[in-house]
Amino acid sequence: MRKRIVSGVVATAVVAGLLSGCASGNNNANSGTNSGSNNDATNAEEKVTLSVWAMGDSSKPMEQMAEAFTKENPNITVKVQAIPWGSAHDKLLTAVASKKGPDVLQMGTTWMPEFAAAGAIADLTSDLANYPELAADNFFSGTVTSTQFDGKTVGVPWLAETRVLFYRTDVLSSVGYDQAPKTWDELLDVSKKLTERGKDKYGIGLDPKEPTLSFMFARQNGATLIEDNKAQFEQPAYRDTVAYLNEFFQNGYAPVDLGLDTAQTFGGDGMVPMFISGPWMIKTVKDQLPDIEGKWATAVLPSKENNMSSLGGSNLTVFNYTEHKDAALKFIAFLSKPEIQLEWMNLTGELPANMKAWEDPQLSDDANMAVVGEQLKNAEPMPLVKAWDNISQNFLKTFEQIYRADADIDAQLKDFNAQSQQLLDK
Amino acid sequence: MKGTSKAAPYIFIGPTLLLLAVFSLLPILVAVYISLTDMDLAGLADYSNIKFIGLKNYADVLGDPVFLVALRNTLFYVVIGVPLVIICSLGVALMINFGRNRAFKVFRVVYYLPSVTNVVAVAVVWSYLYNPGVGLFNYILTSLGFDKVPWLTDPTIAKLSLILLALWRGIGLNMIIFIAALQGISRSYYEAAQLDGASNWQQLTRITIPMLRYAIVFVSITTMIGWLQFFEEPFVMTQGGPLNGTVSASLFIYQNGFQFSNFGYAAAGSFVLFFIIIAVTLLQLRLQRKQAEE
Amino acid sequence: MSKQARTAQSSASKSDRVQKWIIGLILTVFGVAMILPFLWMILSSFKTEAEIKQIPPTLWPETFTFDSFQKLFTEMDFTTYLVNTLLITLFSFVGLLLNAMAGFGFAKYRFKGRDKLFLLVLATMMIPGQVTMIPVYLILNSMHLTNTMLGIVLPGFISAFGIFLFRQFMSALPDEILEATRLDGAGEYGMFLRIVLPMSKPILAVQAILTFISGWNSFLWPLIIANDEKLYTLSVGLQLLKGQHGTDYALQMAGAAFMVVPIMIIFVFFQKHIIENYNISGMK
Repeated sequence: MRKRIVSGVVATAVVAGLLSGCASGNNNANSGTNSGSNNDATNAEEKVTLSVWAMGDSSKPMEQMAEAFTKENPNITVKVQAIPWGSAHDKLLTAVASKKGPDVLQMGTTWMPEFAAAGAIADLTSDLANYPELAADNFFSGTVTSTQFDGKTVGVPWLAETRVLFYRTDVLSSVGYDQAPKTWDELLDVSKKLTERGKDKYGIGLDPKEPTLSFMFARQNGATLIEDNKAQFEQPAYRDTVAYLNEFFQNGYAPVDLGLDTAQTFGGDGMVPMFISGPWMIKTVKDQLPDIEGKWATAVLPSKENNMSSLGGSNLTVFNYTEHKDAALKFIAFLSKPEIQLEWMNLTGELPANMKAWEDPQLSDDANMAVVGEQLKNAEPMPLVKAWDNISQNFLKTFEQIYRADADIDAQLKDFNAQSQQLLDK
Repeated sequence: MKGTSKAAPYIFIGPTLLLLAVFSLLPILVAVYISLTDMDLAGLADYSNIKFIGLKNYADVLGDPVFLVALRNTLFYVVIGVPLVIICSLGVALMINFGRNRAFKVFRVVYYLPSVTNVVAVAVVWSYLYNPGVGLFNYILTSLGFDKVPWLTDPTIAKLSLILLALWRGIGLNMIIFIAALQGISRSYYEAAQLDGASNWQQLTRITIPMLRYAIVFVSITTMIGWLQFFEEPFVMTQGGPLNGTVSASLFIYQNGFQFSNFGYAAAGSFVLFFIIIAVTLLQLRLQRKQAEE
Repeated sequence: MSKQARTAQSSASKSDRVQKWIIGLILTVFGVAMILPFLWMILSSFKTEAEIKQIPPTLWPETFTFDSFQKLFTEMDFTTYLVNTLLITLFSFVGLLLNAMAGFGFAKYRFKGRDKLFLLVLATMMIPGQVTMIPVYLILNSMHLTNTMLGIVLPGFISAFGIFLFRQFMSALPDEILEATRLDGAGEYGMFLRIVLPMSKPILAVQAILTFISGWNSFLWPLIIANDEKLYTLSVGLQLLKGQHGTDYALQMAGAAFMVVPIMIIFVFFQKHIIENYNISGMK
């Protein structure tokens, strides 16, 4: 709903964006520069230093981007700071508290509602029209959803990731499956057969500590999770999903406490010949398990009512207390260009949110990437409420009671639903 | 040492008190106020969003089943961990000190090393050791014909595993304090005792242990305070799981404060913990004073 | 030591030697257990990522590689982090001096409100650290100390634990010596520098090591105060190595090993020079 309104707002920009977006990067950047500086003519003369916080292990890739950007925009220099993922939340809190932070801020999709609700990231709704690169239609719709809060656009999609099914083709065909399971029933069936191969053999690796796992499956079963700020975790669609997932753990189809890395169990004779994970595992499997090359593949998730996956990644946001909003947007527009996003992918392995970039042969000709690209079209972020992190952590504890301590599902979900409602009402 | 220079003591402690006032006392006062409000991230960004709610946070946190579990776990950690650390580090210090030659000095480094190792590295290494599948501990156990142990996946055993890890990290520091204290004991006591024909054991119980009284008081108080704030081990190893089996009071506070941004609630939780620590410390001081008088 | 052994009865020295062997054996057995995780960390830092994840695990690297160490300096800025860490560590020794002064003040003077003030110092040790983080940050911010080296080191200057330790030790210093120094006409501060500090060498050594280690491992404030990567420390660098998804264990091991080995060297150095010097002077 919301995303349709937004795409309507920027509809005029979209046409221009699509036309110029792929035609020529340089022209495009110039038009962005012009439209930006039209708003604030004095800014274009001034020398501006932008501060950018990038999450992850190194600031070097972003510095390369920044250099290229400064070449096109000599008035704007960019200073990059890498923030470790593990401590990013603490660091952001202090920035909010002091109102001193960066100008451009990379933000994980799950943190968007919390920081948007606190007013820490700027409302960009009215600015987007000035930058054709930032038009909503350029990006996967799921990624755009994650930039919406309270009817406002508070970020620009930057990196996208979603969960797909990884499986060992040779092992699956040994139990009669020549292709990946297509439905929930097939998934359960193939997992059972794979487990019956013998001792210390499992069907599928499902990480019970992954906060999105159950919610993703529940949506495939038609569950709404949250509707009009009311928790929906007692509804049959949700309850049945939990019961379905629990079957995997109770019957030993999915290992609990195996304590092994996916890369350790996927190779060899396929102790765990299927798992659900994100695109980063493609590189990991290729690098660490060269011996199974050609014996594994990826597939879109099996479906129940649908096969919607969970969408993650990061958005680029503008810190609300910045003094250089135009320059910040200019930089974000630069980073949103398909060719720049591809360059970023080559530097870091992180995947573009811009759909145009996915038409590049690097992505479209790669079988695994094509699967990820297809799944991205059918992927939604977790519900955009600020208590979501807390709710999903609570669910992990609830689910642990169910699969580990064999607690009653209905009673557990009743408590969980009440607890979640309390958080939503706050 | 009386009546020498009136200003001297204040000059000695002045800079410290000033810094403490600015970076400890003032923040604590701010935190007291925060604990009486519903401050969250929106409140942090804009103070007008903060509402004063009196003691509600305190009432809520004391009724929070997870917090009560966390307090119970913390008690478990303290009751088992503190005596273990004191006995082990004192034992190692005495043994190393007994040797008094070059070879024994190597042990000082060996036993001290774990406490200087960065906690991130500790987490990586110990996760591997405790790994249920390929972990070194279970590998050794199975090759000796024993059953595998669910090191971090059974709520009670996980607590013990974390205590073992904390013991490994904690011996070094206290050992060094004991060794320093041991070397402060004048040789002349031992020489006199040896001339009287006292055995090593008698020298230990009659001279060494009594002379170490201050060090033991110090180590037991600081260790107790440290263990009441037990945080890093569950934080890096288990995140409080399985089934809240390892969540400590400090971890509970951290998760509520920094993961979920419920600053008021977390602050209230930490003052509850704070009062428990003060009570325990005062009790300990009183007991030890009584012992000293006897 | 040897002098003493000679003067003691020969039978005692024989049983002494047996006891020493037994104790040495006990220490060795437990020492191996203590050092095993550490050894594994260092050896792993020379392995390839694939070998670290291999089942069954290897202790000794099949192929030695320095790739991970190289990455620390080429792909990451570990050189800058190293310099910052050294600077912070150096600064934190100012804090050590302040703690020693305060410890002495509390130990050897009677003044109004002493016990209450000392209790206050102790109380600051008992408050869980996380709760004061944001207030401290706001205070530093209002003092315009964010993004400065001073802002990074100031909050960690005073250690209640350190003051407590100094006071405990300095209380045991004989009053007579201090009185005698005073009668010789030395001022209070001269006395502190020339008599008290030298007599406190063992505790200074302990504190110096602790100060070094906390400076070396400092993580939270360098991360939060710095608005510029140029102020990051090794610990922050190590944290940067922890990826969002999955982790390069080999790289982490290398980073961790790189952080621990200098401490080890410093520690060996310190215990040799300070603790033992004291030992000798104490015996004479």
